[in-house]
Amino acid sequence: MSSELSFREERLADAVKIYLSGEVDIYTSQNLKDKLYNIIDSTQMDLKIDCKELDYIDSTGLGIFVGTLKKSKQYGKNIYIVNLKDNIKKLFTITGLDKLFVIE
Amino acid sequence: MGEVNDSIQLILPFKAEYVIVARLAVSGIANRGGFDIETIEDIKVAVAEVCNKLVAMGSKSAENYKVIFCLSDDNLKVIFDCEDKTLKSIFFNEDDQLGISIINALMDKVEFCHEDGYILSMSKAVERDS
Repeated sequence: MSSELSFREERLADAVKIYLSGEVDIYTSQNLKDKLYNIIDSTQMDLKIDCKELDYIDSTGLGIFVGTLKKSKQYGKNIYIVNLKDNIKKLFTITGLDKLFVIE
Repeated sequence: MGEVNDSIQLILPFKAEYVIVARLAVSGIANRGGFDIETIEDIKVAVAEVCNKLVAMGSKSAENYKVIFCLSDDNLKVIFDCEDKTLKSIFFNEDDQLGISIINALMDKVEFCHEDGYILSMSKAVERDS
């Protein structure tokens, strides 16, 4: 389990897929927002965030996801969050964010 | 809460890079306390939410804040304190709703602006197999 955050981007035909690995917290998230916003602005495509290797997130990261979703919506696009671990899916449910994002 | 068996204190600077220290510490302490993995993950997030807010607010007069872990046979209580007593109401605007809802959902009891002068205390009971 890594306490750092790694970020990998894959261009699909109709979306950009992001693979997050490690932990999104107040420290590691500092440049995540910039990366996600840049991808949305430059591609104007749907975003799929694969969280299979994401071990930790808190409201810092959830807030970044919400901000990214707002930006996506400006382009008429959506964010799909896939492979959430149970402990992280719980946070989406607690905060009602499971109703904002498409969670697969 | 039963009699406190052990008290562990962390003194952390108001820096984002050290919130992980609080998470790792409570993870180890909660494991010793007999909490299951899922509950430990919940407690980690709740503790981090408070640390995140303290770091975001910072202090003009204090360099550090304190996280006190009080472990008893049936309960873990986490107390947040700081010499800067102006840091009392740390969750006070709309942007804090995510953090507040997470803390309240994951912990059994949360007291903001504690009457004993602490910034916040939160506790979680240990579930024992009967």
